[in-house]
Amino acid sequence: MVDMGNRNHAPADDLILSARANFRRKAGAWLGQGILFAITSVAALAVLFIFYFIARDSIPFFASRGFAEFFTDTAWYPSREPGHFGALPIFVGSGLVTLGAVFLAVPLGVAAAVCLSDVLPFSVRQVVKPIIEILAAIPSVAYGFFALVVFAPLLQDAGNKVLMTAWWILAGPTLLLLVMVLGDLSTTWVKNEKHVRAARITATLLIGCVAAYVLVAGARFMGAITIITGTNALNVSVILGIMALPTVVSVSEDALQAAGRELREGSYALGATRAETLCRTILPAASSGILAAAMLGIMRALGETMVVWMASGNAAQIPEPFFNYLMPIRTLTATIAGDMGEADHVTGSDRYHVLFAMGLCLLAFSFICNLIAEWFVARQRRKLGGE
Amino acid sequence: MMRLQTRKLLDRAFAGVGVFAIVLMALALIAILLPIFQRGAGAYVFRATVEHRRQMLDLFERGDEDVLVKEMQKALEARQPVLEALASYRADQSERLNEAIGAADRLAQRDDLLGRRIARAVEQLRHTADLRQQIDRLSRIEQLMRPQSTPDMTDDLDLIRDITSELEVQAAQYGELTERLRQLLGPLPGDEPRILPRFRYGQARWDRALIKQSQLLYIEEWDYSDASAMGRRVLSPRRDLFADTALYPLFEHIENDLEAMLRPRWTFYGRFLTDHSVDAHFFGGIGPEALGTFYLTLGAMLFAVPLGIIAAIYFAEYAKPGRTVSFLRSCVSTLAGVPSIVFGLFGLAFFIYTIRVSPGKSVLAGSLTLGLLILPTVIRAAEEAILAVPREYKEAALALGAGRWRTVLTVILPAALPGILTGTVISMGRAAGETAPIIFTAAVSVGVALQPTEVFTQATPALSWNIYNLATEHEAVDEIRHVQYGMVTTLVGIVLLLNIAAIWMRARISRKLRG
Repeated sequence: MVDMGNRNHAPADDLILSARANFRRKAGAWLGQGILFAITSVAALAVLFIFYFIARDSIPFFASRGFAEFFTDTAWYPSREPGHFGALPIFVGSGLVTLGAVFLAVPLGVAAAVCLSDVLPFSVRQVVKPIIEILAAIPSVAYGFFALVVFAPLLQDAGNKVLMTAWWILAGPTLLLLVMVLGDLSTTWVKNEKHVRAARITATLLIGCVAAYVLVAGARFMGAITIITGTNALNVSVILGIMALPTVVSVSEDALQAAGRELREGSYALGATRAETLCRTILPAASSGILAAAMLGIMRALGETMVVWMASGNAAQIPEPFFNYLMPIRTLTATIAGDMGEADHVTGSDRYHVLFAMGLCLLAFSFICNLIAEWFVARQRRKLGGE
Repeated sequence: MMRLQTRKLLDRAFAGVGVFAIVLMALALIAILLPIFQRGAGAYVFRATVEHRRQMLDLFERGDEDVLVKEMQKALEARQPVLEALASYRADQSERLNEAIGAADRLAQRDDLLGRRIARAVEQLRHTADLRQQIDRLSRIEQLMRPQSTPDMTDDLDLIRDITSELEVQAAQYGELTERLRQLLGPLPGDEPRILPRFRYGQARWDRALIKQSQLLYIEEWDYSDASAMGRRVLSPRRDLFADTALYPLFEHIENDLEAMLRPRWTFYGRFLTDHSVDAHFFGGIGPEALGTFYLTLGAMLFAVPLGIIAAIYFAEYAKPGRTVSFLRSCVSTLAGVPSIVFGLFGLAFFIYTIRVSPGKSVLAGSLTLGLLILPTVIRAAEEAILAVPREYKEAALALGAGRWRTVLTVILPAALPGILTGTVISMGRAAGETAPIIFTAAVSVGVALQPTEVFTQATPALSWNIYNLATEHEAVDEIRHVQYGMVTTLVGIVLLLNIAAIWMRARISRKLRG
């Protein structure tokens, strides 16, 4: 009991710190924060290290060979003596597959994101989200293996059938829809109630014939294509598109969510359907975020190594004509991965440094993409926050 | 203005496009995972032949020797008719050869220089054991004699020519056949012993054995007669080459009795994950690769997780909005966007050539590179988890008189731990699956399992790298598809398990937060 009494006094004494203890405490906190800051800086500044070391090793190449050969020449013979380092076909190859992947991933990804954020009920969303996550989690080498061992033989043996099926699946519904809308739009000038029905049917039939012709002609064209090798730009583009999808979906879904309820409700109140609300109100409001998603998708496709190394054919040539996706190509990442094994033995040679020059180009490009994406995200936040 | 009906139609079509995209995504996932898992399971569960059990006993000392000996005896019994067919075919051939040698003997009867030379050549011939060489020598005798022959020799010379050319064709066909047989059943009696295990055993897997069987039964040819299309594969039965010979029944046996010869049995080969590979992955498992991936991932986590959590604490709790902090944040997001192959280049230039953490490629250098790669992911996940801790927790701790440090260490971090763990597990999957950063810093194609002490200096095989290597650079890519699929399945399985664990953990956290 006596002890109890003593204790009752103690806290009051402890609460008032002596000047020394106070200083010690403040200094400790300050020091701790300093250490935290230092460690964080190390983690963050690693990227500057990367820039420095890649640039340092690529300067010798540019110093000895200049820029013109690297960026404009089409002859890539690194192992010849003396070597020739025209990397234009490789830049074109990287560009082609990235473009192909983005063309596939952005429309599909944005459509899926719209569906996820506005169409599907919550319970279905809970099932779909893990699918996207798993798609993002599969290692790139597994995608590459699939592209090389499963997809490439399929393209090579039955490529025209694959293309034809894709054409039917994509073009069929699109054209059907187009016919109905055009049939409707082309008869809006008919004012007489009695004639509207007849006019609409005639117009729909006429346009339908044209569409059917286009559909069949397209299918014929696809069916006539022969694919010489399955390891080509098309194969890689499709796989890269699938790999970029999760990024595009999740970033653009965030953007769509951020557009807010009020905008949607306002649009519905004016009598717009869900499609009209999304196309005319929400997508424009979220456009910055969607562009950011596209940028991130581009970065993902451009920086991917294993898929293109395994399944692009690795031919340093500009396809003939340049948009021919059925030819094998070669990309920056695959060149770095493939050539370093041999170039490494001759450290200090142009052959070694040219790979760092390519790495620097990749780094610079992804840095710019990242800046643009960040700028878009910031703009979106400002735009939606300001309203 | 469109009619209401069309607008409704468009509305539905719009939703349809979205659903279509999602269905397509799900289909893509199934299309990719299904063949990988289906064929990858074949590396673990397959119909193993008696040759597989022999290997297991010889190379890994597994299985019961007595049982195997008995089984092998039965298999050899079943193979006996094949061997007999071979032997009787060879006997027929040497009979034909003896006919030719008899003709040569008759030629040697001549009592002149030519006769003596023939006699000497025939004598040499008798000392040669190999049928092919005998045929060679005979046809050389015939060619040598032909210009100097007299009319009475023509008959014998013609006979020798006919027999040798006939036997030459047969010997080539026979040689190819026995080569196929060796691939199917292992070395034939009387073969020279060979060192590489792939030549010492027959087919260990029944699915491979069936392929080899069809290669034995049918000759594959390509028909290029239609110049506008690609070559067409044509199969013609090999037995047609051996019609009316002693070998004809052999094909019947191979076609019908192969099961008795190889005795396939469903086997679960779970040690595939831990066994070392034998003869460049022709046999054995993927132990060194799996262990290498484990070391690399563990090293990357040891490096990235503490650093990432500290940075996240700083960003979430200490950083005041300002130029410095926003610059640091920009750096982190740029780091997240750096292509993985550039990390590899940086690891080579910095960790190996500049600060020399190891004399060459090593697990350490690879781990550091991988750690750098996943650092932004860890930082982001940890920061999100810390920010998700309710403000009340922190306020209550501060109100009780705890310092800032104390609050972070005893209240915020424990509350955020499940979230941090989720992010950590996801980035673990990423580190395990990445290939590009370790190509120049840690990976080798062929290697043994490392001891934990060797990780600072030695390079290692790893699942991700060896999938690439086996699928593109191996000498017999088609022969070891099951190993490739097994590796892919193992890697994808590990990564998926980690991710599913993370998804489950997150679902639990969100349930808890919702109360």
